[in-house]
Amino acid sequence: MAGLFDRFAVVKGAAYFKLLASRAREIFDSRGIPTAKTEEWKYTKPRGLDVDNYEKSAVQFMYDFEEIPIDAYRLEFINGRLNQNFDMPEEIRVESIFMAPEELFGHLADINKNPFVALNTANIEEGVFIRITSTLKKPLLITYKTSVNNTNLFSNIRNLILVEEGVSSEIVEYFTYAGNEKSEYFNNIVNEICIKDNARLSHYKIQEEAFKANHIAYNAALVGYKSYYKSLCVQKGANLARNETEVRLADENAATDVDAAYIMNGWATIDTTTWIEHLYPRTYSNQLVKGVVGGQAKGVFQGRISIPRDMVGVEGNQLHKALLLSDMAEVDVKPELEIYADDVKCSHGAATGVLDERQLFYMRIRGISEEEAKQMLIDAYLDDVLSKIDNNALYSWVRDRIK
Amino acid sequence: MVLLEIEDLHASVNGKEIIKGLNLVINEGEVHAIMGPNGAGKSTLSYVLTGREGYEITGGRIKFKGRDINDMPIEERANEGLFLSMQYPVEIPGVSITTFLKHAVNANRKYHNLPELDTFEFIKQVRQDGKLLGIDNDMLKRHVNVGFSGGEKKRLEALQMTVLKPSLAILDEADSGLDIDAMKVVANGVNALRDGRRSLLIITHYQRLLNYIEPDFVHIYADGKIVKSGDKSLAEKLEKLGYSNFVCGNG
Repeated sequence: MAGLFDRFAVVKGAAYFKLLASRAREIFDSRGIPTAKTEEWKYTKPRGLDVDNYEKSAVQFMYDFEEIPIDAYRLEFINGRLNQNFDMPEEIRVESIFMAPEELFGHLADINKNPFVALNTANIEEGVFIRITSTLKKPLLITYKTSVNNTNLFSNIRNLILVEEGVSSEIVEYFTYAGNEKSEYFNNIVNEICIKDNARLSHYKIQEEAFKANHIAYNAALVGYKSYYKSLCVQKGANLARNETEVRLADENAATDVDAAYIMNGWATIDTTTWIEHLYPRTYSNQLVKGVVGGQAKGVFQGRISIPRDMVGVEGNQLHKALLLSDMAEVDVKPELEIYADDVKCSHGAATGVLDERQLFYMRIRGISEEEAKQMLIDAYLDDVLSKIDNNALYSWVRDRIK
Repeated sequence: MVLLEIEDLHASVNGKEIIKGLNLVINEGEVHAIMGPNGAGKSTLSYVLTGREGYEITGGRIKFKGRDINDMPIEERANEGLFLSMQYPVEIPGVSITTFLKHAVNANRKYHNLPELDTFEFIKQVRQDGKLLGIDNDMLKRHVNVGFSGGEKKRLEALQMTVLKPSLAILDEADSGLDIDAMKVVANGVNALRDGRRSLLIITHYQRLLNYIEPDFVHIYADGKIVKSGDKSLAEKLEKLGYSNFVCGNG
């Protein structure tokens, strides 16, 4: 897989991070926050974001945070700062992001392609370089806690996760907050993920930010020979949220499942954007994204699958389904299939529906209240995605959280 | 004691009057059969009784256990003991039979201020009830009606009835799509519930089911009302003579 990195321009030298940050600053300053005219951002409009109006660090208020009750190795960020007090087993090496190898850092998440990656890179202060050297006995749980009072925090967290050859691993990311629920803080997260040959990473994410918060995350994964990346993201918080996942299937028999579920109300916009690049013949991808949208909220799904020339034997499937709970709810879907190769199997589908009156009636004539019947139907709807969570304790917890 | 009292009922669907002055009294422990030709609005009656949206009472009244049910929500009617076995049971993907039944039973217990059932005890009971209806443990894990044959659907309706133990069960074409063996199974399940207090309202097109669930009263329903009532011999007479001899007003 080493050859693959030669394709990316590598800036050598000790000043690498600084140089990249200043380039990123230039790019962001010249382009700014994307507007509705930017194709990739035409549905999700981050126009209210004024990055100069945020504070980068603040006094920490002590609150009790929600914790995911699973058996896991734990890391946590509080208000964008890593809690240095952690215990890790030998197989998980945690270092500062500034210790990340230059041949990886900044090469998976491209400052030229995404303005928020540029913003993150320009402002990088904190993050971890995680190297998983042998198969994990339990998952690594990273909790991002925002404790807010009246300040509007701006956190740019940058992580690089390296899964070594032959290693099987599971990472859970959890975004939560405590304090003033009306706080308009902004979490801008970038994860670069490299899965070497014959390795596996299951990457679960649960986003439960405060209802006026902004959450933008970019996950860029590189998947090696016979390796597998599973990404499953559940979003239910924030006023403006985007979880973007870019997966490069870089060698033969690399495979990925990129699944997501979202459930929302009020005026929120929750965006799931994916880009699967089949960069080698006989690579495989599958996507299932399901959403439940109520109130005046808006769900967005943009799914791009790229299959360049000569990439024979590729399979790529994508399905998005949404349930609208109100007349004012909206869903925007944009599948993009870029297929330049013959002999590939590729499919995509999208469906939007409403709760079925017949099903509700059938449940109510058995004595189940209308409210409970609706919740049961919503649970069942999202369970197609949630049941793909292999960790049983996590699955049960997530199922309870979507109520 | 009078369980259900329907008095000069008029009901419309989409502004069209379907039920036109129907009278019916069902006492505790009685089995009534309503027979009528296709398209006479028999199912409409079952939906009006259960309170389905879009089925509007425009005149008369329905009293169940002495209470006017016009303003009672669907689930309250159910929890008061009114049960409908549907002609076309609905598929609910993603919800297992066990989960569905547990929610229904607990909703019913909550309504009557009883504590929730212990899951273990509940499952044991459902498995026992299922056995009588030829529903095994594997079937209980399947999603409600999803991919079920006609016979399986009707057996599941009977199971729900057995578990919920209603005071009045309306069976809407409970035998449609069933072969003779399956019909016997369903009929046995229904008969097992007859304890002299529970009542049944069987809505059917054919007399066939009535050979297995014997009615005390048979009513012939046509053009939105009951045109003739009698005992079970009326069903046999109807089978011989056909509906046309009754519905044209010369019966």
